[in-house]
Amino acid sequence: MIIPLTTTKIGEQVRVSCLNCTSEDTCRLQELGCVEGATGTVVSNQKNIILQVGECRLAITHPLAMNILVEPVSKKK
Amino acid sequence: MNNQTLNIQKDLLRQPSTIALVGNPNTGKSTIFNALTGLRQKIANYPGITVERKMGTTIINGVLHKVIDLPGAYSLNHKKADERITYETLIGSFDHEEKPDMLLMVVDASNLERNLFLASQVMDLQIPMLMVLTMSDIADERGIQIQSQQLSDTWGVPVISINARTKQCDTQIKQALIEQGVATPKPFQWKPSTPLRQAVERLDKEWLSKHTQLPERARPIEALRLLAEGSLEDSFYQYSEEGKAKKLIEELQNFLEDQGENPTAAEVVQRYRFIGDSSESSVTKEVREQQTWTDRLDNVLTHRVAGPVTFILVLLIMFQSIFSWATPFMDMIDMLFIELGAFVGNQLPAGLLNSLLVDGVIAGLGGVVIFLPQIIFLFLFIYFLEGTGYMARAAFVMDGFMTKVGLHGRSVVPLMSGFACAIPGIMATRTIENWRDRLITIMVLPFMACSARLPVYAVMIAAFVPDNRVIGFLTLQGVVFFGLYLFGILMAVGSAAVMKRIFPTGKPTPFLMELPPYKWPNVSSVVIQSLERGKIFVTEAGKIIVAISIVLWFLASFPTYDPTGSDLAAVDANEQMSEQMLSTLQLNQSYAGTFGQWIEPAIEPLGFDWKIGIGLLTSFAAREVMVGTLNTIYSIEETEEQLGLIERLRSEKDPETGLPKYTLATALSLMIFFAIAMQCMSTLAIVKRETNSWKWPLVMFGYMTVLAYFSAWITYEWANAFLLG
Repeated sequence: MIIPLTTTKIGEQVRVSCLNCTSEDTCRLQELGCVEGATGTVVSNQKNIILQVGECRLAITHPLAMNILVEPVSKKK
Repeated sequence: MNNQTLNIQKDLLRQPSTIALVGNPNTGKSTIFNALTGLRQKIANYPGITVERKMGTTIINGVLHKVIDLPGAYSLNHKKADERITYETLIGSFDHEEKPDMLLMVVDASNLERNLFLASQVMDLQIPMLMVLTMSDIADERGIQIQSQQLSDTWGVPVISINARTKQCDTQIKQALIEQGVATPKPFQWKPSTPLRQAVERLDKEWLSKHTQLPERARPIEALRLLAEGSLEDSFYQYSEEGKAKKLIEELQNFLEDQGENPTAAEVVQRYRFIGDSSESSVTKEVREQQTWTDRLDNVLTHRVAGPVTFILVLLIMFQSIFSWATPFMDMIDMLFIELGAFVGNQLPAGLLNSLLVDGVIAGLGGVVIFLPQIIFLFLFIYFLEGTGYMARAAFVMDGFMTKVGLHGRSVVPLMSGFACAIPGIMATRTIENWRDRLITIMVLPFMACSARLPVYAVMIAAFVPDNRVIGFLTLQGVVFFGLYLFGILMAVGSAAVMKRIFPTGKPTPFLMELPPYKWPNVSSVVIQSLERGKIFVTEAGKIIVAISIVLWFLASFPTYDPTGSDLAAVDANEQMSEQMLSTLQLNQSYAGTFGQWIEPAIEPLGFDWKIGIGLLTSFAAREVMVGTLNTIYSIEETEEQLGLIERLRSEKDPETGLPKYTLATALSLMIFFAIAMQCMSTLAIVKRETNSWKWPLVMFGYMTVLAYFSAWITYEWANAFLLG
């Protein structure tokens, strides 16, 4: 099941499956470690998202997060 | 993994060399730079752009070396001006920076994989380097253990681990440079796939080597960038035969796709894959389930409600502290310069030189130095909060609201500092990465009601606004005062919204930011950086301010008034000629006075007469000078000061009609004018410094003056029609 990052819950583990944004934003996300296939944990989802990928904590605004498609790895603990 | 012998070079440090610090933002790079160079720093803009060049010196084994702190970058794919400087400096093709002889590759141990991405790109450029692991304490806290020796074996460069927050981090680095030396890494250690390698080689051989000036070691990196982006549009270079290049890039992208690779992501994915695999041998990580400090703090500080509330509280504490801590220092500086002026004035014979030194140079210098306490206190707070990792959260929680009004989350702190003074606020816009957002913030910042407007507001309100009670403890005077502050905020927000539409490259950058872990900042680094900001203000804006002060002194002092003739007779006939009367007559018939009379027709619709006209010119030195000038014009003895002035303003009569000359309408019009107009040369001087051109200060002066004029005019007409009619 592939869903936008905005629809995830706090604590949920996700795998990034598709970066559906402009090439510039894709490039910035990738440089920060948010590459397709990377797994991360949703730290906060209050419209804007905080996603922990590896040791890097990324703050992502709602419009950008809508274009990041992810696959839930396990349900909320 | 690679397990290679290191190509160690120790002799590089025997002669003076250039050492560059390279790394991601928030890795402790600046802290290392500050520790290595102390106050032996020189910070200036690179020519033509607004990226700062940070250069300093350090002594290693008795030899003096240059140290450059290159702008923080996440990759060498130079999307932004500062990343381009890092890239161009590293490949040795940047005209305004020296080619580094060796690098300190700063890597955050608590976030190793992300940091090794940039490191692996830099390594492809084959510059001798020492890898410096920072933030080991945070890594420890998270249960991350890094085997430096393994890491060194994998990448073929010496690796040391330091704690940048301890005082001895410079000694540790110097010792490592002496004992372990630096090593030149081999290119392509990340083992790109065969198709990607073939594509890079073809692009290099068939086009880059023939049509660009790039050095050989830099061409693979450029080839990878072009293959990923697939266009030359964002390129900073002028290439010959672009058509050929485009065709070739397209062909190679198709080739990669045929080989089952995604051209846009191939480099990134393969680098990360290698980094991930190699880290397995050098990094051990305990799985810890419990929340870290950062998690717990973030639960509150980035909360949708608690986040903004905390931020407002932090700001309140910050500005209250700046206000109460800076005021005694400012008073002291003010007194010192008055004393100095009096001393010099008494030592020298009265005359032109005396006047130039006391009223021009010393007053001008005083006008510069007086801003220092506010600037230094604000930056102590900002660098401290930045060092803790809080600033990124503040920008994040405020971004939604600020984006709506055309600004950026990071604009909040500079804008709020504008309430104290626009100058430190404008200097603080450096934290905004996007140039357009930064420019808009700078352009609207002077609308925030700074403390220098206070005296003008205070005199005008006291003189013309009735002290009637409105509701409860609120008086009309209080409401007008509050209204002026609110008006400033609305003007700033409104102008930002308009500018958002006007300024080109309006493509919004969605907020994407790394939130660094919370930590206790290095205090000496915070102090050094704040003092450096103070130094920049005094040396760069200071020059312009002193120069304008001298021009204003000249305008107010020439042509010199000669107290003989009919004026003297007239004055003598009435009363004893006082020194105050003399200076009044001098000002009235000086160039400034002539200017006031000359612009009177233009300012008459606003309800201003020539006396206020003189004030408008002289208050350009600083807004609060307006009150002083009016004092002088009305020949008020200094002992009577404000109360005297208020009485005089109220009782001023129009010679023709005999009605009061200044009314509530005049006062409102003047306050609105002051709320909007760019009446501050120090602000213009700092805008020039921060935007690196005269264009923006001139635009700022122009649009704010025009806006002020029409707003004051409308206010005057409206007040006359509705309040007094």
